[in-house]
Amino acid sequence: MSILLNKQTRVLVQGITGKIGRAQTKWMLEYGTRIVAGVTPGKGGERVEGVPVFDSVLEAVRETGAEASVFFVPARGVKDTVFETLEAGIRLVVVVTEHVPVHDTMEMKAEAKKVGATLLGPTTPGILTVGEAKMGIIPGNLFPKTSGPAGVISRSGTLSYEVGGILAKAGIAPSTVVGMGADPVVLTDLPDLLRFFAADPQTKLVTIVGEVGGVQEELAAEYIALEFRKPVVAYVAGRNTPEGKRMGHAGAIVQRGMGSVESKVASLEKAGVAIARTPAEIGTIARRLLR
Amino acid sequence: MRLHEHEAARLFQQAGIPVPPFAVARTGDEAVAALERVQLPIVIKAQVLVGSRGKHGGIVVAETPEEVREKARALLGSSVRGLSVESVMVARKVSIGRELYVGATIDPAAGAITVILGVVGGIDVETIAHERPEALFRLTVVPPDELRGYQARALAHEAGFRGDLMVKIADVLVSLFRVFRKTDALIAEVNPLVVTADEALWAVDAVLDVDDSALFRHPELPGDSLARMEHPLERAAKQIGVSYVDLDGDIAIISSGAGLGMATMDVVGQRLRPANFLETGGGITEELMYKVTQLVLEKPGVRGLLINLYGGINPIHEGAKGVVRVLREKQVKIPVVAKALGNRQEETWATLSEGGVTVVTDITTEAAVEALCAALESRR
Repeated sequence: MSILLNKQTRVLVQGITGKIGRAQTKWMLEYGTRIVAGVTPGKGGERVEGVPVFDSVLEAVRETGAEASVFFVPARGVKDTVFETLEAGIRLVVVVTEHVPVHDTMEMKAEAKKVGATLLGPTTPGILTVGEAKMGIIPGNLFPKTSGPAGVISRSGTLSYEVGGILAKAGIAPSTVVGMGADPVVLTDLPDLLRFFAADPQTKLVTIVGEVGGVQEELAAEYIALEFRKPVVAYVAGRNTPEGKRMGHAGAIVQRGMGSVESKVASLEKAGVAIARTPAEIGTIARRLLR
Repeated sequence: MRLHEHEAARLFQQAGIPVPPFAVARTGDEAVAALERVQLPIVIKAQVLVGSRGKHGGIVVAETPEEVREKARALLGSSVRGLSVESVMVARKVSIGRELYVGATIDPAAGAITVILGVVGGIDVETIAHERPEALFRLTVVPPDELRGYQARALAHEAGFRGDLMVKIADVLVSLFRVFRKTDALIAEVNPLVVTADEALWAVDAVLDVDDSALFRHPELPGDSLARMEHPLERAAKQIGVSYVDLDGDIAIISSGAGLGMATMDVVGQRLRPANFLETGGGITEELMYKVTQLVLEKPGVRGLLINLYGGINPIHEGAKGVVRVLREKQVKIPVVAKALGNRQEETWATLSEGGVTVVTDITTEAAVEALCAALESRR
């Protein structure tokens, strides 16, 4: 079991003919992902790594039954492409693209809610179900070959790789690793991702990898206190970041005293979450929680 | 990108928000010449991108042409909160009856826009929120929905306004919301919105912060976002297309991701002090790593470099070549430790080791910091 994605999921790659689209399609196929189609408007009829390319999402869905889509689409085209994808009936979308205008994100989020779709990102490394499939850019070789009991949700991409590796080193394989995205507004909120893990019998523990800025960790804390029954370990990055400085991600900023590590840690602790002070501590804490 | 007050004021004015007559001046004489359009008494305001200008001497009142020349000159030669004043805004002084707050901003929790009307103003909205939360009235608008006139009137009504004043405040809210949407803003704010004794409204300050990611579709906005960055290394980083934050320690950090970078700072901070934070994002090439390695080492006093990379979207084997090229060309003598994992990691390690970099293959950043501490120690 896993959440959102498994080896049966029929995956579509949008922007498949670009340099990154091509390279990542190869890595995703090698990992075992069932990629059935690609879309790049104007490149219909081509093949990338043996995958047929279509001009539109609707065509790709009709011809191949694609049911989930991963984006390697330039930022300025993301909103339009999301609306196209949702209209074609796809209900899982992974927006890897960085620098998407936040006004576009708000509109996409409203549309996703309206049609009941799960959209990850923007600025997400994607999702990887260990030993089965991946959508996005998470390197598969950093994770164990077979899956285990730990769900991982991360705001940051590369940090989720490190945490996956730390868990593996502690002898705990992840089940599914989800990047939720690092922008000020994310398409799916942290509590909604926790709900998926709550319903997954394989996941016995969830690791939250947070960072300064925004309110996602606080929202998660409220939800956990209310109804999440599985043990949770969290690490929030950015203890030493100066206020008012954007730490890379548009969303990673402590502004006007809001979004600090202290406030996030305090609300998570109050909700009964075990706090790791460094990424490496996640391993030891997770082992203790699973005992 | 934060706009200067006069730039924001112009946009607000064009949208129908009542802004007192104003002009921009770069010399004392220009300030005096502005009196043809702006009647005395006036307010002279330093155009610097920082808050609390009033408290720091950045806003002065002048009542005669002589005073205008003198005070504008003095302000133009000075600096406000460390920023030198290149231009001033000369604006008609309005008689203040009551001060309100109006603003629109992104609410990350709702993933939507919050419109705020405050029955007090003139002080930081955070301070109002903290000390008098009951003075702020909010409304959430989910784009692509607009703020409708009746919604704005309901908000003004809820805040206790009636009659003409209620309608006028609602009009300001609707106009402000339009500017917010039209410019892809993150914050649009009028603080204070002044109500005069005869119930006229005046926006006597204008704040507009625009989403950098959306600047590509706003040719009408100023195109000098780069020049607005104060720190030279931060500006240089932006030019390369990466993100840099200057810190006060002496250990340079390069990471391929913001979360990883912050975690690296956390771990480094337990034993050493970070000098900077440089995050490459997903665009690593040999050339990019060549440039950023040079950039972080440019900071005076740096005595160690920690590189923390993952090869997901990034070709780290290419990046490694850029790093070692800098070390060779610049004859870098300080210890350089790299942890680089992911796609094509073995190739990456070989390139780095041959170039004199200490390679850490353990997954934890702690191991990399440990190696750096050991290297620093052995050079004592």
